[in-house]
Amino acid sequence: MSGERETVLELRDLEVSFKVKGGGVFKAVRGVSFSIYKGETFGLVGESGSGKTSIGRAIVRINGASSGSILYKGREISGRISKELDREVVRKIQMIFQDPMASLNERAKVDYIVSEGLYNIGVKRTEEERRAMVAKALLEVGLLPEFASRFPHEFSGGQRQRIGIARALIMEPELVVADEPISALDVSIRAQVLNLLSAIQKAKGLTYLFIAHDLSVVRFITDRIAVINKGEIVELAETEELFRNPLHPYTRALISAIPQPDPLVERKKVVTVYDPKCHDYSTDKPQWTDVGGGHFVLANAKEADAYRERIASGR
Amino acid sequence: MIRDSISAGPMSPEAILAAADGLDPALFEPAAFDASAGERGGYSNYSYWRSTARGFLKNKVALFFLVLLVALLAFTFVQPLLPGQKSPTKIHIDPATGMQYRNVEPCAEFWFGTNTIGQDLWARIWSGTRTSLMIGLIVGAVEMIVGIGFGAIWGYVRRLDGVITEIYNVLNNIPTTIVLMLLSYILRPSFKTMVIAMCATGWLGLARFVRNQIVIIRDREYNLASRCLGTPTRRIILKNLLPYLVSVIMLQTALSIPGTIGWEVFLTYIGLGLPVSIPSLGNLVNEGRQIMMSPELRYQLLFPTVVLSMITISFYVLGNAFSDASDPRNHV
Amino acid sequence: MANGEAILEARGLVIKFNLRGRALTAIRGASLDLYEGETLAIVGESGSGKSVLTKSLVGMLDRNGWVDSGSAMFEGRDLAKIKDERDWLGVRGKKISMVFQDPMTALNPLLTIGAQIREVFELHHGLSGKKADYAVIEMLERVGIDNPEERRRQYPHEFSGGMRQRVVIAIAVACKPRILICDEPTTALDVTIQAQILGLIKALQRDLSFTTVYITHDLGVVANVADRVAVMYAGRIVETGLAEEVFYDSRHPYTWALLSSLPQLGVKGKPLYSISGTPPNLFNEIRGDAFAPRNPKALKVDFVAEPPEFAVSPTHRASTWLLDPRAPRIEPPPAILAMRAKLGGSSSGAAGGRL
Repeated sequence: MSGERETVLELRDLEVSFKVKGGGVFKAVRGVSFSIYKGETFGLVGESGSGKTSIGRAIVRINGASSGSILYKGREISGRISKELDREVVRKIQMIFQDPMASLNERAKVDYIVSEGLYNIGVKRTEEERRAMVAKALLEVGLLPEFASRFPHEFSGGQRQRIGIARALIMEPELVVADEPISALDVSIRAQVLNLLSAIQKAKGLTYLFIAHDLSVVRFITDRIAVINKGEIVELAETEELFRNPLHPYTRALISAIPQPDPLVERKKVVTVYDPKCHDYSTDKPQWTDVGGGHFVLANAKEADAYRERIASGR
Repeated sequence: MIRDSISAGPMSPEAILAAADGLDPALFEPAAFDASAGERGGYSNYSYWRSTARGFLKNKVALFFLVLLVALLAFTFVQPLLPGQKSPTKIHIDPATGMQYRNVEPCAEFWFGTNTIGQDLWARIWSGTRTSLMIGLIVGAVEMIVGIGFGAIWGYVRRLDGVITEIYNVLNNIPTTIVLMLLSYILRPSFKTMVIAMCATGWLGLARFVRNQIVIIRDREYNLASRCLGTPTRRIILKNLLPYLVSVIMLQTALSIPGTIGWEVFLTYIGLGLPVSIPSLGNLVNEGRQIMMSPELRYQLLFPTVVLSMITISFYVLGNAFSDASDPRNHV
Repeated sequence: MANGEAILEARGLVIKFNLRGRALTAIRGASLDLYEGETLAIVGESGSGKSVLTKSLVGMLDRNGWVDSGSAMFEGRDLAKIKDERDWLGVRGKKISMVFQDPMTALNPLLTIGAQIREVFELHHGLSGKKADYAVIEMLERVGIDNPEERRRQYPHEFSGGMRQRVVIAIAVACKPRILICDEPTTALDVTIQAQILGLIKALQRDLSFTTVYITHDLGVVANVADRVAVMYAGRIVETGLAEEVFYDSRHPYTWALLSSLPQLGVKGKPLYSISGTPPNLFNEIRGDAFAPRNPKALKVDFVAEPPEFAVSPTHRASTWLLDPRAPRIEPPPAILAMRAKLGGSSSGAAGGRL
């Protein structure tokens, strides 16, 4: 399945650190590597503080990477890059933000918000053309073109999030980093936005990096999932494979905690708690191990054997 | 009202229900669905500027001072055009005695009286107010432009933050009084000198203020989004950051105008203000102060002080009222 | 579980707000019963009014809001008629306590957590000195904070999110209230911590015998904790019933839409069932069923008249014209049919129901 596919994005040992008050450094991302293929939806799942947002922001160059590299179609885009490469990154990689209440400029009209990126690309465009592009972008996300003359506060959370999506899509990107795009939305609106993202992906052949903390959402929309805990990726597999055979104890804990909208199931549910002390890494250090079928786990040799056993006996 | 939904029986409860609530049975058919009608649901009628205006207009005290200030300002500039006004520098001589009209108390001829050398106080006060206000407004405008520009760059461009903060600390520790006195002394007292001196010292406070506000909002998601879209720093400052600072900037500017006038009064008091030939509130207060111990001459101190107070209080009240009204957290 | 006695009866509450000179009706006639010892979950999204409803029961409506009509009888008093802040002091925090979503803003950053819990004991139980200290330590133990002796001298910022929420819960139950209202207590927490907090509240409810009301939009939480569920939309309660009834045999189109749009129930590759549009503007007078403009299965009468409550069973009620005998049979979405199948086919003939 992964053989001939074009790699759109590759992360190699990416590290992102932040300065902490009083000296010292906090490593939010500690040596993360994975690749994203063209046309797929890659899910990155973790809890708060796991570093997933930092990865997303490093990819769109809002944060800097402290070491390691990010390659877009084979070209290094982390660190200092040329102006034209920077402009290309702005065009080709875009981001959808989490909080619709905070991610739009309250004092600007929707018209400006959606076409803001167009002003930056520098292509000569008449006012007419620009307005037409804005109208088209709004229609594509299911909003009415007349909304362009209004301000963000006149819209609901779901509509605002769609404005944010229109703003990213008007740039005609190839890779979209969606940073928890539905976490801040009402339950019934989430389905709207998820459907929208799926439809747009099919229509335009986009590639998504979908960052989330909710495994049930991720299961529905992604092709492959990477689970991240405290800055390290602990498991990576195709979506169904991950749910069928979760190997790393952290993944298992996350899956057991997924809320089910079913009283009978919920009441019988037992949540396993992840205790990092369950690993003994004193002598046998963990490696990024391939356990077959595109399924990778962070495990030392002993654990890897146990996992392979489990998969074999499970099938 | 709870109703039990009972299955259709020989008694035809539908008929009973229909009679009871008068609803046409034909209504119980599926309706056509218009997806965009749901979209127009519409959410909020909030408008930032309308809420600001409402908040401001509700404040009766602020309205009073607004009217007062506007009247004052208007009159200040209209006064010379009125008929029968005297020149502020002319020394008036009593044709009968050939003596100067010194220290005449307010009367029909001289509405505010005259000063120690026979000049008409009414004309002097309005001319002085004009001068002081001009200084205040020009300095306020320059402070605003330089202060905001500098503060915005200081706050937004992380790399410059450290360096500029050190420069600020040095500059801030130089007492304003000393700078003003030095500049006035070196450049010789004049209108231009005053303006230059005040501009040189005044912008720093606003810059610091703007910088602090920008540090607070620069990492909000909508600014990150703009960076992600490739928006240059200049436009982020102009369209994303400054519109949020309107409230605080207007307050600072409104307060700086009476502040500037205050400094002008002080400099005049220590002899480094405007020359005596140019009347200003500072001059007038100073002259009045010198003779305030004689009760019958106190009017010469009273009038300029009252005008100065009215201006100061008005600006303070209006500045605060506008700042409160334009603060979105106060918008209900 | 409930023992049959209603400790709080709210009838026809109408709550309005004065917003920028216009009146907004946030609650348009809500009636609710709360039974001793049960766990009730109020489910709704933004604009449904779920927080406003419970805030009115503890006198914490914003200053520009008021109870226009209706009643809320609790211990012989009508909470809807209380105007004086002093009268609320005997109720709020003492008989009815609230836990909010964000523990960081609920706690005073300048006081130690021990001091904040102690306040409750001093105020409501008249304890002081050593007795109050012991009470604080015992409370911290109860909510699962280790080393209570030491930790009570720490400040809120020294605790993690889940720990802070435990402290907030400790403060809320310290006075042994009769009703504990939890407004989205786990939304800001990670999924693994969420389970712990819900478990904690359940255990406390057992030990201290109070009634819990959850306000949430998370149906997973509801499925976990609730005995009874009330679904709110645009300021009205549109469906109430036992948890099993509302999940497996829901009758209101909004509840259908809510349940079917969950990703857990989605099939990959096919679009999720979703509700188009946005909730209505509550400044305007709403004619008919508020959900009608977004309901593809609406009847014409939904745009004309507000549906009354229909009983599906003695414990299950829904306000929808679909339950009227004159209404045609409408098929709920496939996800709902699948839920019904889980109950083993007994649903469509539920006592009194027609669909």
